[in-house]
Amino acid sequence: MLEKKKRRSFDFIDAYFEDFERWVERMDEMFTQKPCWNLRNCTMEPLREINMTATEVIVTADLPLTEESTVQVRPIDNSLEISAKMRRKLRLHELGISQYQGEIEKFRCHVHIPVPVNMDKMGIKYKKGILEVHLPRKR
Amino acid sequence: MSENVRIVEKEKAPSGATLIFGFPDVGLVGLIAASHLVDQLGLTEVAYVDSPLLPPLIVLHEGLPHSAMRIFAGHDIVLAVSEVPIPTDMIYPIMDALIEWGRSKNVKMMISLSGIPIQDRQDAVELKAFAAASSPETLKVAKDSGIEVLMEGYMVGPQAVVLQRASKYGSPALTLLAQCFYNYPDPEAAAEVLKSLAKVTAVKVNVAKLLEKGEEIRLRARDVMKRTQQEMSRMKKGQEYDIPMYVS
Repeated sequence: MLEKKKRRSFDFIDAYFEDFERWVERMDEMFTQKPCWNLRNCTMEPLREINMTATEVIVTADLPLTEESTVQVRPIDNSLEISAKMRRKLRLHELGISQYQGEIEKFRCHVHIPVPVNMDKMGIKYKKGILEVHLPRKR
Repeated sequence: MSENVRIVEKEKAPSGATLIFGFPDVGLVGLIAASHLVDQLGLTEVAYVDSPLLPPLIVLHEGLPHSAMRIFAGHDIVLAVSEVPIPTDMIYPIMDALIEWGRSKNVKMMISLSGIPIQDRQDAVELKAFAAASSPETLKVAKDSGIEVLMEGYMVGPQAVVLQRASKYGSPALTLLAQCFYNYPDPEAAAEVLKSLAKVTAVKVNVAKLLEKGEEIRLRARDVMKRTQQEMSRMKKGQEYDIPMYVS
């Protein structure tokens, strides 16, 4: 009887995690169904990644065709605004997009930082067009 | 051939060639390398992959439809390339169909081009390439060419199926892996894997253009990389980082 009850509880937990996984997938799909470029402000969202260690949060972004001097990283509450100007304006048709007309001149994105960090101790590195931001975690 | 996957030949594909695979994976190494091969060698499209199980997607080139998974040929190679990541649940049927098709063409060797992600990739001055093979004899080809062997570890994705099946059929197959970014397109790694390909085959291409246009390639490859990231997460690609527990 007890075992049956236990099994039922595990089934419930499994079902909960399956539902959660499906929800994450749905959200993921939903947020990726838009272009990475915005013609109104001539920007493109860069590919980016966030990694957490025990002591810091590391955000990286792929910023090809940019110069280090134009890279800006601005802390806003619990997120970072990353922007960088491209060395030259890129017309969409150069990227193989012919159905729209417009230019891209800047990378811009917001990265949500999921844990408390010391924004004022932020460290920035830029190499080969890869931006790396180190944020020490608050203890 | 796998029941739901057909390789449709538009032109007669050559027999006895080397079959090369370049699919979206870590750093898009295989896809970028394959695209460079098509461009530099002027390879022509001879076949494509057709399956009702694939998403309803075509690639338009100059207003005309093409399959996202195509086979090019020329210079004694047959190159299978996909412009979109292969859905995880389609990897076995598609790779089985391609391998079976390759065997029907008596390919002399199958070679997968891919990457092996490293930490702090942007700090790496020289990228290394590794090889794994379907048999000790084929592994010797890589060793004798000076390519380091990937001694232990896990392999996840189409290249894993190629080695597994080739080993079962006794067909020679190699996987060449260049150190790369995991989540960002990596033309430098693609150049490195092409240098390794040149060591084990007669396929030699100039990679200067690939390096010169590297930043533009990264930009153009952005969306394919993003889609590939999602598929890699579904296929649990991160398992390649795991510490192997080899049972001898």
